[in-house]
Amino acid sequence: MTKEEKLIIINEAIKQTKTNLKPLGYNLIFWSIVVISMSLFHYFFPKIVQYSYYSSTIYWVSIPLIGMVYTTYYNIKTGIKIGYETQLDRVIKIIWGVFGFAWIFTVAISILHNINPVQDILFLLGLVLLMNGLIIKFRNITIGGVGLLIFTIYTYYNPGLNLLLVNVIGISFGMLVPGLSLYLHKKDE
Amino acid sequence: MNKEIEKLLFNPIRLKTISFLMTVETCTFKALLDVTTSSKGNLSIQLKKLNDAGLIKIEKYFQKSYPTTDYSITKKGKTSFEDFFKQLQSLKNE
Repeated sequence: MTKEEKLIIINEAIKQTKTNLKPLGYNLIFWSIVVISMSLFHYFFPKIVQYSYYSSTIYWVSIPLIGMVYTTYYNIKTGIKIGYETQLDRVIKIIWGVFGFAWIFTVAISILHNINPVQDILFLLGLVLLMNGLIIKFRNITIGGVGLLIFTIYTYYNPGLNLLLVNVIGISFGMLVPGLSLYLHKKDE
Repeated sequence: MNKEIEKLLFNPIRLKTISFLMTVETCTFKALLDVTTSSKGNLSIQLKKLNDAGLIKIEKYFQKSYPTTDYSITKKGKTSFEDFFKQLQSLKNE
């Protein structure tokens, strides 16, 4: 085997590694639909969601937890199907894992202090989306993250806004639209 | 560079395996089969040789009652590959 042949082999083997970004797009779409549906249901049927003192908390904690279990299962299954994990996959996984932990922490603090966590979670989500967009070099996700950050800061200065509608608008433009564009258009890295 | 390692990487299947493992954190046997386009038996032998030389790490565990094996490159494997690649580049530039 000549030196050139060795270099060709190395080059071809390296070229076969691609980070599959469709699962990230799928996760973004899934969570957008969950949060938007939950917010709209809460907005239109407040009597059902808030029928008792703790029912709204149970509603906003239990469904996302079920979603977390489902997406974890989906991501493990997809990982097995792909057969390998790149450094980029690992970075994205860690970022969303930290977000999941921060979400649990924020929700727990908000329950203890009886405050609404929507703005804090949206701010955190904006940061995570911005990081993801910059890491995978996908402009729409980056713009979504920046947009969500600006929108969340705007809501801090306008306390009279309905936070359920804030959720719907913020998630739709910050996560659903970029998630759809990633799922439909992004080639593997 | 260690002559034994150089000899080890002379084999195209082993070289493909090490090159691929340089770019991923972990991978399955099936992924390596796709990359190397080798037979199962041959790939197993080459992987054992790489493992014996300390260039790769083989982790066996059970996932949903099914035996699963993950392959990853070791620190020694990374250093050896980098040395090997530098040597190839310098020879190519000469």
